[in-house]
Amino acid sequence: MTDTPSINRVEPIIVCKNVQKHFGEFQALKGINVEVTEGEVVVILGPSGSGKSTFIRTINRLEEHDGGTIVVDGVELDDNVHNIEQIRSEVGMVFQQFNLFPHLSVLRNITLAPQKVRGLSKRDAESEGMQLLERVGIPEQADKFPTQLSGGQQQRVAIARALAMRPKIMLFDEPTSALDPEMIKEVLDVMVELAQSGMTMLVVTHEMGFAREVADRFLFFDAGEIVEEGTPEHFFTNPKEDRTKLFLSQIL
Amino acid sequence: MNAPSQLQQPQMYRVKDWMRTHLFNGTGNTILTVLVVLIAGFVLFTVIRFVFIDAEWSVVSVNKRLIFLGRYPKGEEWRLWPPLWAALGLIAAAWGTWSSLSRRDILWLLLAAVFILVFVAHGTEGLLFGGAVVLAAVLYAGVRLSGTDPTMRSRLRLAIIIGWIILLPGTIVIITAFDGVQPALWGGLMLNILLATFGIGFALPLGIALALARSSSLPVVKWFSTAIIEITRGGPLVAWLFIARFVLPAFLPDILNTDVIVNALIIVILFTGAYIAEIVRGGLQSVPPGQREAADALGLSGFNVTVFIILPQALKAVIPALVSQMISLWKDTTLFSILSFTDALGGAKAAFSQAQFVGRQKEALIFIGLIFWAGSFGMSRISRRIEKYLGVGSR
Repeated sequence: MTDTPSINRVEPIIVCKNVQKHFGEFQALKGINVEVTEGEVVVILGPSGSGKSTFIRTINRLEEHDGGTIVVDGVELDDNVHNIEQIRSEVGMVFQQFNLFPHLSVLRNITLAPQKVRGLSKRDAESEGMQLLERVGIPEQADKFPTQLSGGQQQRVAIARALAMRPKIMLFDEPTSALDPEMIKEVLDVMVELAQSGMTMLVVTHEMGFAREVADRFLFFDAGEIVEEGTPEHFFTNPKEDRTKLFLSQIL
Repeated sequence: MNAPSQLQQPQMYRVKDWMRTHLFNGTGNTILTVLVVLIAGFVLFTVIRFVFIDAEWSVVSVNKRLIFLGRYPKGEEWRLWPPLWAALGLIAAAWGTWSSLSRRDILWLLLAAVFILVFVAHGTEGLLFGGAVVLAAVLYAGVRLSGTDPTMRSRLRLAIIIGWIILLPGTIVIITAFDGVQPALWGGLMLNILLATFGIGFALPLGIALALARSSSLPVVKWFSTAIIEITRGGPLVAWLFIARFVLPAFLPDILNTDVIVNALIIVILFTGAYIAEIVRGGLQSVPPGQREAADALGLSGFNVTVFIILPQALKAVIPALVSQMISLWKDTTLFSILSFTDALGGAKAAFSQAQFVGRQKEALIFIGLIFWAGSFGMSRISRRIEKYLGVGSR
């Protein structure tokens, strides 16, 4: 593959080589090797404490990796602040706890970064922001404050806020884990639409129905390593590793 | 005829019920209620008897000028009116755009204005002060009427903020320029107000800067800020003021060394700044880490994250503590009287030291107390308003 570069070959947009991360004595990531191509939807599974959240947080350097290399869209993540800010503006992230800015209106949550980072005018940022709110189905909430919204609505605003930076990649860190059951679907619907639109996505989730529907590839993490990877089909019909089987039997 | 009585009866019952449930529910509470009413009645009676019968207020009225202006030269009073007009106008306009006056606020303000017009400002002064009140009222009404339109409102707010920023240096220019009155001759309540305004105006930004520096990851910045905060907080303000008077002049560069008041003011600003820094640092720590992560993840620069995400939430969380620090600074300005400045308290002391007013300390001191209480109470009301305004979208 390397010696015959073909025209059709797609360059990976994320290349992680031997990524390691220590928290004191504890090694959270023990050499992760992953390549993600543009438009791919990768779902990351694993028991809690397996390093899956830590891993996706290294991709926009919310966690600093201390071994190996991460290259996002051709830019290597290192101590260079300029590189970090550039990658962060291309990589959107959605958190388990939403992390909306409580002192800003819903629309202002969405327009702040486009105005400050992308340099949009207030008017342009607001019209883009309203389009995004329509895309996630809650344009009528624009002038409210985050705490006046339900959890599902807040998470949809958080997705819109990330999309407002026109990211090439979206990271989802357990986006539905803090939601009441009846609100999970409205968030997943938005994510399915996003996946179908061709967004490159890395999603840490336990929502297997969603994962099966949209994922191109599963990664199964345990104890800081990728234990098994493959298509959803492979995982649901023919998982090889015992740890994978045990985990799947527990959550399905 | 029937309808009103039907409406009134439940009302009466409600009052009775309210009294029964809130004042007389149980023996213990009944005793408490009676006791408190007795004590309050006694205090009220004593106060009224003192104010209207026993007290000789001439110590205040004769020495009005001493208390309000100290040794400020005669004939230069005109310099003080434009800043006062501007300040009252700006307060009214700010109150009108960001909030609105409740009926209780209006009552308090009317009381204050009537008190000043009846007991303090007479003749020309009365007219000038009355003019300021009318101007403030007109501005407030105008701003309320025109501020309903959002773009108009944001323009008004910008204008008001610019006005506030200009007010302080503007006041100094008006007082000192064109053969004006140099700081050494400032005195009385005017000195307290100027010191407090200056102190707050500079201590707040200094405190925020120190807090951010102390939370910084750069060791030198952090240590420097920590040293300033801990050293400043390590001594009482009185000691620092003496240092300002007798030690600081030897160390300051000539440009800052023009006046004892300036030296003392620098110390007060540092002192208050150190306390504000620790309050703000507490606020910074109260902002959940997820806020910074979310802002970082959007690609916002460190500066933008601090200014637009972290600081607004941190400051909002500590408004009550900040305002109490400001109230404390307002009262601490009376400590300047120990440096032989004739501030309001110094003026009062000078007043009851005069031969004809021997034994009239009570009246003079109560009057000063009333003035400082009014200032503190006003700040406290404004702080409540700010909290209420920012309360929208609280977590």
